Amino acid sequence: MRKTTPLAIFVIVLLAAGGSFVWFVEQSGGSSATTIAPYNSTQVIVLYANYQGWNYNSSIPNPTLYEKTHVLLEFKVIEQDNLPHTLTINPGSNESASNYIVSVNIPAVTGTIVWVNWSFANPGIYTYWCEVHPETMVGKLVLNSTTSNTTNASVASPLPPEIADIVGYSSSIHSPYALRDANEEVW
Amino acid sequence: MGFSFELAVFGSTIAILIIMGFLLYYFAVDYRRNLLGNGNSELPKKESNAILSKMSRELSFTAFIMDDSKSIGIRYIITSLALFFIAGLAGIGMRLSLWFPNPSFLTPVQYNILLTAHGTLMLYGWAVGGILGLSYYLLPTSIRLRKDSLGVVSSIMYWMFLVGSLFIIFSRSTATWYFYYPLVDQLTASGGGTLSFGSLIGVMLILVATVVSSIIFLKMIFLDRDESIRLSNLPLFAWSIVSTAFLIIASAPVSIIADGFLIYDLINPIFFQAANGTALAYAILFWFWGHPIVYVAVIPAFGLIYELLPRFTGTKIYSYKAGVLSLLLLMVLSGTVWGHHLFNSGLGTVWDLIFSTTSFIVAVPSAMSVFNWIATMWVGRIRITVPTLFIINAIIDFIIGGVSGVMAADVGVNQLIHGTYAITAHFHFILLGLTTGMAFAAIYVLFPTLTGGRNYNIPMAKVHFYLTSIGTWVMSGFWLVGGFAGMPRRVAGYFGIFQTYQDAAAIGGVILGLGYLIFLINFLYSGSRPVETGTGNILEEEVSA
Ligand code: HEM
Ligand code: HEM
Ligand SMILES: [Cu+2]
Repeated sequence: MRKTTPLAIFVIVLLAAGGSFVWFVEQSGGSSATTIAPYNSTQVIVLYANYQGWNYNSSIPNPTLYEKTHVLLEFKVIEQDNLPHTLTINPGSNESASNYIVSVNIPAVTGTIVWVNWSFANPGIYTYWCEVHPETMVGKLVLNSTTSNTTNASVASPLPPEIADIVGYSSSIHSPYALRDANEEVW
Repeated sequence: MGFSFELAVFGSTIAILIIMGFLLYYFAVDYRRNLLGNGNSELPKKESNAILSKMSRELSFTAFIMDDSKSIGIRYIITSLALFFIAGLAGIGMRLSLWFPNPSFLTPVQYNILLTAHGTLMLYGWAVGGILGLSYYLLPTSIRLRKDSLGVVSSIMYWMFLVGSLFIIFSRSTATWYFYYPLVDQLTASGGGTLSFGSLIGVMLILVATVVSSIIFLKMIFLDRDESIRLSNLPLFAWSIVSTAFLIIASAPVSIIADGFLIYDLINPIFFQAANGTALAYAILFWFWGHPIVYVAVIPAFGLIYELLPRFTGTKIYSYKAGVLSLLLLMVLSGTVWGHHLFNSGLGTVWDLIFSTTSFIVAVPSAMSVFNWIATMWVGRIRITVPTLFIINAIIDFIIGGVSGVMAADVGVNQLIHGTYAITAHFHFILLGLTTGMAFAAIYVLFPTLTGGRNYNIPMAKVHFYLTSIGTWVMSGFWLVGGFAGMPRRVAGYFGIFQTYQDAAAIGGVILGLGYLIFLINFLYSGSRPVETGTGNILEEEVSA
């Protein structure tokens, strides 16, 4: 055996072990860094997971959601097409898998309901989407601060009226969906 | 046309690759010629490889470009050792993070990545890889191979094994080594079921390599052994490989197929989704191989004990026939017990009882071996050396692990300890004490050969032994007790009442880690000293180099 062989094996083994360990834990683990904001009211939001778009079978697929900060948003995600999906929410108006706040797997069995609860601290525009179908399943989540209603109006105003209408539409009895609770908002 | 920078870079890269390829080829040819001597290097490869694979051969990176059985063995030994340290560090990382009840320096996602990497790499990379390595290395000498004709196939299988391990490392899957649906579909921060997809491909590559290598071992043993060796005096290590190889060939393909379906499921779930009860179908297909793999990890270790014990006690093995019978019974029976992993999955009471019974029965051949070893030690005079220490420790650890396995195979007790650390303790006793212990015992026995005439430093080797032995006891022992108290396995955090067990086990993990580190340092230290002995070893006595 050459004199360098044991040294080479020693170094290779140590580097492989250390390098792999760093590689394994380099994964940030996402949302664990962020914590859920305090809240004193809750709001249920129903989302149907369909590869063609969120709530694809409703009149408005991929709806823009208007919600308030410091409210516990209870997303009721209903699997619709037997395909794997995620509900991923990240700040900003673009999809980003690296700084998500929420990323939950929706089992690929039609009818499965997954509740995803989160309360946001900061107002602003967020993106909700599916990591498996990022092209089709993507929408905006607009959060206004709980205290001021004026911000609410100013964010809502630049939007086309038909979308602004939907906000009020939520409690309409014309919902195409059967699975509804009293407190539910169907977009 | 003017000067193109890209073209220049491209051209010189290709030129360098060609030169490197030529150099590699030259080294290989040169190394072969040096080993074989002038006369033999003119022989056709089939025959010269047979000569090479019966020489006493040392660790060398040239083995990676030669394809006789001994070289393939050296490749696997180096690779699986590296994988052992990768997976071991992951294990120690998990243990340390569990010092506090709340997830400490590892987030749950990171913990799951380490858990999956540890389980998969330890079983497929270290246990299976190490066994392939020792078999390729030891078989040709122990059965005096006449021709070594499948070098190219073995070589390709080795590269598949290596690529498979890399796939497992790079995929960062979080699905645990079961890859159960829907966990396998779980999405983590780096996106999509893609993670598990990579691991699954890795596992499939390794399984294919393992199956093909097993066929090669059977061919070596049954067709290519020397005429002077009849089945009635085939070395027990070879018998253990026969048993292992048949077990692998009979069960691994099932897992390969299941993994293939599963990969398809990640794209379009139609096979194993829970809706029509077929999640259980995957579990059954998986455990049809999942149980045999744990015996694949122990039967060759049995073979090594059978081979080494007589040499350290100065007697023949107490009963050769009982040994062969035990190894062959293990092969047959351990194919029938996989259902004991599914007692809580709804196979039904009758099936549960059947699998419980077969699991009790499989203890019989295991005990036959244990008593055979005890009898051998009883009639002979034991020479206490480092390998003997490992052997005795392996036997004791196997008894503890085996008994806890038989307890877990009782349907009632299983309700209590399924999914707890008692199970983790059950198999770590065996996998650390027996599989890993015997692998290191073999490495110590082969040390002068592998390092080309150096002795290992005995005090350091003893420290290695005592640390790993004590570490196994502390870690698995506290796991076992905690498990019976209900401490759940596979969690990144736990209830505060279990902290004593978890902390004690963490200390055990650190002790283990120190032990293996000392092995590495010993290897470096002793391997770099001047040559001091011959290159023979007691496992390959007949060999002339
Ligand atoms: C005497 C024979 C054995 C019996 C009766 C036995 C029994 C069992 C049972 C019943 C379980 C399932 C426990 C549960 O999950 O509820 C189990 C798990 C396990 N056994 Fe054994 N066992 C035996 C030998 C071995 C051997 C020799 C090994 C090899 C190292 C081994 C490795 C494992 C592993 C790795 C697991 C856990 C797999 C996992 O869930 O990750 N067992 N054993
Ligand atoms: C270096 C010493 C080792 C340490 C510190 C160690 C530590 C651990 C830890 C902490 C776990 C996770 C327990 C849990 O959360 O459920 C684990 C699981 C496991 N270990 Fe080890 N281990 C070691 C050696 C080995 C060896 C040598 C093997 C096999 C050859 C092995 C095979 C496994 C398997 C199959 C699992 C189960 C993974 C799963 O649940 O998916 N370990 N080990
Ligand atoms: Cu089993």
